[in-house]
Amino acid sequence: MVNKKGQLHIQETKNRRFLDLGFSKKGQLRIQVLKNLKRFLVPSPKRAQLRIQEMAFMLLGVFLFFSLVGIFAFSLVYVNLSDSASQIAEDRTLSSITSLADTPEMSCVASKSNCIDGDKLINLVNKSIYGELWPYSSLSVIKFSGFGKDTSELIVCTKANYPNCDIFYIYDKKVNNERAISTHVAICRKELENGYTYDRCETAKIIAGTRLIQVDN
Amino acid sequence: MQTDKMTMNLRKINNKKGVAMSFNWIFAILAGGFILFLAIFSAGKFIRTSEQTLYTETAASLISLFDPLETGLASGKAHEIGFKKKSKLYFDCEENLNPPFGKQTISFSEQTFGDTYGERGQRVSIKNKYIFSQDVVEGDDVYIFSKPFFMPFKVTDLVMVTSQDQNYCFWDSPESVKESLQGLNMKNIIFMNSSSECEGVNVCFGTSQTVCEVKVFEDQGYLIQRESGKRVYFAGDMIYAAIFSSPSMYECNVKRIKVKFDYLAQIYLDKIQIIERKDCNSNIGARLSTMLGGVEDSRALHGLFMTAQDVDSINRQAKSGCQVYYNNNFDI
Repeated sequence: MVNKKGQLHIQETKNRRFLDLGFSKKGQLRIQVLKNLKRFLVPSPKRAQLRIQEMAFMLLGVFLFFSLVGIFAFSLVYVNLSDSASQIAEDRTLSSITSLADTPEMSCVASKSNCIDGDKLINLVNKSIYGELWPYSSLSVIKFSGFGKDTSELIVCTKANYPNCDIFYIYDKKVNNERAISTHVAICRKELENGYTYDRCETAKIIAGTRLIQVDN
Repeated sequence: MQTDKMTMNLRKINNKKGVAMSFNWIFAILAGGFILFLAIFSAGKFIRTSEQTLYTETAASLISLFDPLETGLASGKAHEIGFKKKSKLYFDCEENLNPPFGKQTISFSEQTFGDTYGERGQRVSIKNKYIFSQDVVEGDDVYIFSKPFFMPFKVTDLVMVTSQDQNYCFWDSPESVKESLQGLNMKNIIFMNSSSECEGVNVCFGTSQTVCEVKVFEDQGYLIQRESGKRVYFAGDMIYAAIFSSPSMYECNVKRIKVKFDYLAQIYLDKIQIIERKDCNSNIGARLSTMLGGVEDSRALHGLFMTAQDVDSINRQAKSGCQVYYNNNFDI
């Protein structure tokens, strides 16, 4: 028998024969058993190490797998989150731009609704500090004279050329990813004609930008 | 017998499958435990994050609901916001953050199990609104109303936020206050008479009531909130802001409003130069310039109202069509 267990069994049977004859071979057997014990109790160090290594690799694999799944899930959630944040920011721009003309900084002097006072607006030009007040990434007002013109053709309003200009740039935070929303309003200014001062009004467009949140930002 | 036992023991020891199983078990327990821990931890984290996200989104969306309250030419506006569950709105005010205008923050949480509330969401900034409320507003519905603030031109809209669950019992209120608030149809503001009943915050203008949470001394331009014992000053429609907000939030917003006033006054001062080109001369510049500069508290702002009245009377005397600003609502 190649099997050591089998050998041991045979040995044991042989020993029984000696026991019957009165020879005490118990000691031999004990020695034999102890030898076997030593041999079988201590597992092969190489094999055990291999098993531990296998387990460690498996655990590492499992950990890496779950990490990757976690990262994938997180990226999906984060994309949705940034989309949601951009949507809320846009909604906010949309809801506030409609009432922007009625804010005290812009509203017309003669108590007209949805009307911008041009004489106030010219003093808001390049006031970047208002970027800390209004929730827009950029804000400008384009007069009717500027409708349909290219950006390069527009005459930028300053105190020197006012009112003969097309566009009032209030502030621009120069963000990378921006979406602009516009709304039509009236823009009025004081005019003097034949010794009389009156309000002269025309159509204009408020253009407010919203910074869209990108995943790679 | 002994040998049989020994044989058995040897068989057990010699059983290699037993040794292999123990490794498998160790692995299963370790890996399983690890995966289980990771799954429970991730699920808990995910639920908490989702809840926080939802609460933060709700707070951000709520800000858009304040925009329609811009009064424009109106003397006031009101509306009601209803929540599916009982909710809490947390308001903060920081006059030193976001210079120079300061900012307020709003955060949201709602009831989850029983009476417990979820952890409040992230704070969302509000920079162009002036919200007057208690630090925490709790309820199924909240009432919001706005009033324009003039000094002497319109500076901003004051937005007051109150809970449906919190009644305000107005005792001996003047007709102007009564008319102004009754027009907004606020269900939680009750004007007391001999037959009416009200349980809530007693707002007393006269002496008929002895237990008053808010005692208003309208002719002297201040009120005292019993809980804090602090005296806050008001003028015009700021009386509503003072009644419905905590003293700390009121004082913070007063400082923010004053900064806004300063920038707005500068726009009007520049405008004077622009309209001078059109043969319009205004004399408000000198008086208006004296009003510029920060204020320490509501008392200082209240002190500026005499000057504001002077500016208004000078503006009214301007040539027809040449007034720097127009308003018919400035009245102290």
